[in-house]
Amino acid sequence: MLKTLKSAERLFLLIKKQIPFTVCSVSKGKPLNEIQRLINDDPRSWLNAISIWKNLLELDAKKEKLSDTDFKSLKRKLEKNEVIDAKKFKIEQAQEREENRECQLEKQLEEKLEQRDFPAERGMFQEFQNDAENSADNHNQEDLTFRVSCRCSGTIGKAFTAQAVGRVMGIALRKQFGWKANLRNPDLEIFIHLNDIYSVVGIPVFRVPLASRAYIRTAGLRSTIAWAMASLAEIKAGAFVLDPMCGLGTILLEAAKEWPDVYYVGADVSDSQLIGAGDNLEAAGLKDKIELLKVSVIELPLPSESVDVIISDIPFGKKFKLGKDIKSILQEMEREI
Amino acid sequence: MKLLTHNLLSSHVRGVGPRGFPLRLQATEVRINPVEFNPEFVARMIPKVEWAALLEAADTLHLVEVPQGPIQDYEHDENFLRKMHHVLLEVDVVEGTLQCPESGRLFPISRGIPNMLLNDEETES
Repeated sequence: MLKTLKSAERLFLLIKKQIPFTVCSVSKGKPLNEIQRLINDDPRSWLNAISIWKNLLELDAKKEKLSDTDFKSLKRKLEKNEVIDAKKFKIEQAQEREENRECQLEKQLEEKLEQRDFPAERGMFQEFQNDAENSADNHNQEDLTFRVSCRCSGTIGKAFTAQAVGRVMGIALRKQFGWKANLRNPDLEIFIHLNDIYSVVGIPVFRVPLASRAYIRTAGLRSTIAWAMASLAEIKAGAFVLDPMCGLGTILLEAAKEWPDVYYVGADVSDSQLIGAGDNLEAAGLKDKIELLKVSVIELPLPSESVDVIISDIPFGKKFKLGKDIKSILQEMEREI
Repeated sequence: MKLLTHNLLSSHVRGVGPRGFPLRLQATEVRINPVEFNPEFVARMIPKVEWAALLEAADTLHLVEVPQGPIQDYEHDENFLRKMHHVLLEVDVVEGTLQCPESGRLFPISRGIPNMLLNDEETES
């Protein structure tokens, strides 16, 4: 269910959140102690979180484990979460410019999601508390392997490296719970983010990033961004949507999955890209929804004012080069709308 | 290439302008793909259709049961919509050519994708 969040980058199961650690330059030992206390003060909450995480993984694998009532209230909470994400995300989007999209978005999304996860996670927490206490899972947790990933920025980032914090956490975890560290292929990954706004510890919900979609074989543009672009375009049913530089067709694929009652056309000058796009369409089962053309964006063989929406990831020159200059391209696209 | 797409393509060869439409269709390989019928979508496409061009293309492909034009209250006529759905979306030209009616320039269609790239001398700009 969480996998249906289309613009989300990473989801975490929250273990702890608290105020940022204070750092005084004299004694470096204090924050390290505080980090250890994160683990040692409240091992119960750790074990509970791990049980929830395990349950989530099992949920993914086989859906009958939960009782009906648990499942429904879980669904409700997740749906609320999705709506909040989508709204906040839209507002955020409106204030940003195209060029900065890639880098800013990813960071903000991560942070926003962590904060937004609280109500949902607390809710899930209560639901599973009973399960956690009743189950015998606690015994199995001794043979978990783990890895700590750490991100520090702000004042604490200047005082400590990520590796130092990670090491402290790792040792404390091993002492407290008896887990073994495995850097290559751990069962459990712990994420700790320390900065000037918050200190958060969590477990990533999915091993694979949400951006890797089941239905896209070869991705061009990052699919979360492609979905976001399509969503901003306000595609309505019955529209004619054109991507004049579609490449592998990522934007059209995301759009067609979400808004199916639309006529999509993708165009590119490169044979290899079009073949890749064709493969993607085939793999996604969207061959009937999206048409491909081999045309040049400056000489579009379409009558004026025939297109409703143009959406494109214009090759600025980093990965692909343009034959002609941007101005003539934009003029041609304007004519179409 | 579906007939809905053919209905929108026009030739961009220099000097041709509006006489570059419609492109004359010749097909060597045609496939009929079943596509899920969505009446609202088809109803929305009807106003965009250039009927003369569609009828000419359907004729070249020897399609039967092609409606000659929009009928009264077509949005609710399922029979009409199904026929249009078939003509516009289910007929796929896999191999063939498109010809500019004014200049005679041929554009090949290969693996379902029409290649309409022009050489430098042929372009308008």
